[in-house]
Amino acid sequence: MEEKPEQVEESSELRYILTSRFTVSKRQLGIVLLLLGIIGFIGIFALDYIGGGREGGIGPAQHAALILMVVIALFGASLIPLGDSPA
Amino acid sequence: MADSSDTDAVYHVSTRGGVLFKALMIFATVVLLFALIVLCAYAWNLMTFPYDYDQGEGFELVDTILFSQFRSPYQNTDSYPFYSSNYPPLYHVIAAPFVWIFGESYWYGRLLSLLSALIAAIAIGFAVYREGHHRWIALLSGLAFLSSNTIYHIAPLLRQHIMMVMFETVAIVILVQAYPKRQKCWILIGLLLIIAAGYTKQLAAITAIAVIAWMILRNPRRGILWTLGFTITGGLIFAWMTLATNGEWWRQAIVANVNAFDPFQTFGLAWLWLRLHAFLIIPALLLVLHDIYFERLSLYSIWFIGSVILGAAGSGTWGAGDSYFATAIAAMCILSGIFFSRIIQRIWIFRDNYIKRFFQLARAHIGSPLQALYRIAILLIPILYLSYGISTFKMPTDGAIFGTIADVLGIEANVLDRHYDSATYDVLGYANIGHFVTADDRVAGDFITEQIRQTDAPVMSEEAGFSLVAGRDVITNPTQLRNLWLADLWDGSDLLSMIENREFGLIILRAQFYPTPALEMMGQHYTIDDVIVMNGFEYWLLRPLSSE
Repeated sequence: MEEKPEQVEESSELRYILTSRFTVSKRQLGIVLLLLGIIGFIGIFALDYIGGGREGGIGPAQHAALILMVVIALFGASLIPLGDSPA
Repeated sequence: MADSSDTDAVYHVSTRGGVLFKALMIFATVVLLFALIVLCAYAWNLMTFPYDYDQGEGFELVDTILFSQFRSPYQNTDSYPFYSSNYPPLYHVIAAPFVWIFGESYWYGRLLSLLSALIAAIAIGFAVYREGHHRWIALLSGLAFLSSNTIYHIAPLLRQHIMMVMFETVAIVILVQAYPKRQKCWILIGLLLIIAAGYTKQLAAITAIAVIAWMILRNPRRGILWTLGFTITGGLIFAWMTLATNGEWWRQAIVANVNAFDPFQTFGLAWLWLRLHAFLIIPALLLVLHDIYFERLSLYSIWFIGSVILGAAGSGTWGAGDSYFATAIAAMCILSGIFFSRIIQRIWIFRDNYIKRFFQLARAHIGSPLQALYRIAILLIPILYLSYGISTFKMPTDGAIFGTIADVLGIEANVLDRHYDSATYDVLGYANIGHFVTADDRVAGDFITEQIRQTDAPVMSEEAGFSLVAGRDVITNPTQLRNLWLADLWDGSDLLSMIENREFGLIILRAQFYPTPALEMMGQHYTIDDVIVMNGFEYWLLRPLSSE
């Protein structure tokens, strides 16, 4: 009933992405989080324009979400130098 | 979490815990054990109370009774008795056999909830022991979970939330080991428990997201395959329920459950959560940071971060409250326990990276304070648990035993002149419960029930307990009608017509959760006849206006 435990050599090379060897590295996770933070930040700002006609500027919930996006982006950026070690 | 085989550096630091450490640990244990005693006393107090304590308990009992009769609680609310459940079924299905044996009663639902809380605490202790091999810290971790004001609130209620937390916690404790070891059977059990949590309460979606993210992070191929199986299984159950209830499951439990969001409620509750639990949140966060920068993100870490962020966001919705942090509290207890165990066991893994090199550089300049830091850290552990116990302290301040203890400790009531709660009842969304019910509360409940018995006409009550005890139909589920009305899914013409025709002999209001049109109609055709105080809440008894 058991598969082979995670003793097989893991790799973060993208050519292995569809194999059971692949694992996400800290660098890859960092890049994803950095992009998520940046896109999320822009998206939350854009909400005001898309929502056309909404008044009152950035509300408290948007403020919190913007701060969260900045934290995610900074956290992601700090992971990128950690290289290929598994996330 | 720790895998010493691939360490770049393992720091062994000797220490003499000594007498002071043990004395402080004993003190912390006594404080947290006292919290458990208060919880058990509170649970016993509620189990002997035959009416609603927390608004909505009675409706969960109605769901349980309907399941025991093999009837669906997901009904069309547009016609008599205008009742439907908005919660998933598992908690009520598990409680249903008790109806066959003991009849309609609150106590077994409350007992099931308490047992769920105890099982979750045991799972937390087990997880901490398995990772840290320190029995005492494992014990304190489990006790810390039960000591939380939030867990104290919901543990003895006939509500499904704590059972969801129990399923989630057990699932996580299983998956954290089974997935890396590729133990298919245990992975299957873990994922089925998450589905069970989801069909106990919808909020378990947060834990499901955390688990899926972690599985994909470890290995996308396996993660996606398991997620596919998980989604298909959960989806098939969902589809079957939707079909079996003529779509009412979808309408009542999903569509009508989208409520308005108040950011200030979120901020208030998040700040309260931080204030009460900070002594364990900080160690938990430190372990998360260690995991991500020096080891590997554990499922516990992702679960913790996910449940804090998404739980906090959800806590600001109408009808939500501090209970939305319960899952984060379970994760916090596990992570802080593992963190403390690692300090005591003196084994840490620090992979070589820029952060480690920075600290090595700093050590080269200021010397190595590691030994001294460790001695302080070890003494800090019981102090942190002790501080946490004080921070989450709550107890009744009257009665022969608790009154005496409160007098000795100099604890004064800050709630209803008979209860102390370190959280107070002042934060928006914090459940104003935790105080014990009294003989007067029971007399008040009996009085309201007697008023129902004295009328032959139907009775509409904002809480189901009075109608159940009086042996009458439970008519309406006010919060559900309100949700449907706000979602533009409510056709209240039949109910409004009954109110307008003054067909109800008595209407009992507590929080006026009904849709505004229904409340307005009541205002035009009914008048307040009496106000009864029960459990610290006012119950308005409305009678029909005379016809002239």
